Amino acid sequence: MKERLDLGTAVRDALPVYDVPPELRDWVRKEARKLDEESLPERGLMSPTRARFGSSFPLRIAAGLLIAAFAGWGIGSLRPIGHPISTDRTTNELVDAHVRSLLPGHLLDVVSSDRHTVKPWFTGKTDIAPAVVDLSDRGFPLLGGRLDYVDGHSAATLAYGRRLHTINLFVWRSAGGEPADGSFTVRGYSLLHWTNGGLSYWAISDAAGSELQAFREAYTK
Amino acid sequence: MGLVSPVGQTAEPSSSAGPHERGFERAILPHLSGAFTLAMYLTGNRADAEDAVQEAILRAVRYFPTLREEDARAWFFTIVRRVCFTAYRTNRPDGADTISIEAIPFQLVDQRDQPDATAERSQVQQRVREAIDQLPTLLREAIVLRELQSCSYAEIAAITEVPVGTVMSRLSRARVRLADLLQDIVDFGDVA
Repeated sequence: MKERLDLGTAVRDALPVYDVPPELRDWVRKEARKLDEESLPERGLMSPTRARFGSSFPLRIAAGLLIAAFAGWGIGSLRPIGHPISTDRTTNELVDAHVRSLLPGHLLDVVSSDRHTVKPWFTGKTDIAPAVVDLSDRGFPLLGGRLDYVDGHSAATLAYGRRLHTINLFVWRSAGGEPADGSFTVRGYSLLHWTNGGLSYWAISDAAGSELQAFREAYTK
Repeated sequence: MGLVSPVGQTAEPSSSAGPHERGFERAILPHLSGAFTLAMYLTGNRADAEDAVQEAILRAVRYFPTLREEDARAWFFTIVRRVCFTAYRTNRPDGADTISIEAIPFQLVDQRDQPDATAERSQVQQRVREAIDQLPTLLREAIVLRELQSCSYAEIAAITEVPVGTVMSRLSRARVRLADLLQDIVDFGDVA
């Protein structure tokens, strides 16, 4: 019988060690430098008081989020009373937002096909964190993202390409009592709506409705 | 925490300078690939592992100013692990001793064969990989941290947030299961 390996050797020989993809490493390095530039030069120079309040910038973000949360809560809680849910209004506003996005310079706030750029861009701007996936291998390249305000909802919007068409995917926190999931056609545009994990998703495009079904399948997979 | 110097770490002045004095980049970046590897073995696929590491970095940046421990690697791995378990639901370790460690379906998607592997060697590798794949998440995690990342028991305890005794029992259970499958090619000493 031949010599047996010890477990450590066998494991190290069999299991690969993975390296992070370069674009993720670059992003991490950038984040790290940003933080270090903020904090390192001040270290040791700050008085105890400044040390406590000198880095108030996270506090300001927290305050901003709190205000935003209150504003959102106000809208969310009042809407059902003042404005009964109207599928027509929601879909019409979505079409407006979609058309507006196609005007020159309006499609994207962050232009990138790299989901490691798009995803953190949303962080800190909104508490909605949609999955950001690049679907180029399925024929829906990621174009980028932006923030929208549609039918009383703050939305995180992802833009994808489909051959010569653009698909906008609007994502907002589902407040209940929304139009049912399904597909719609409004003013010649196709819309597809689904909800998942407390988030409301609206895909819209001038491509055919079947393309949106394929898009949803690829996105939610 | 008594910690051994982790293998694969770049040379760092570990004695006097804490993580803060070194800054986030020098404290955390050397452990990025280790963290990604851990996430790969917890989530089983590249996209989830990338997302987990990215999310962990965002959290780490936020909490870095509160880091008091000397060991930035254990601290960062703990965050990565929490992200994997909560966001990707590989398993949910609510109570360390009561947790059911039923096998959850796991198959590492990314299995590249080493180009230099002889047929026999790659067959051995394949069997070891399959055996590791079959381990319940918490046992696989213990083996990966111990054997692949060369963590000390104390480090594994810190990362997985359980007592050292639990770590040792998980490692021993993992070895028993692996021994079942690999006894003819791997020497397990007296566990089997």
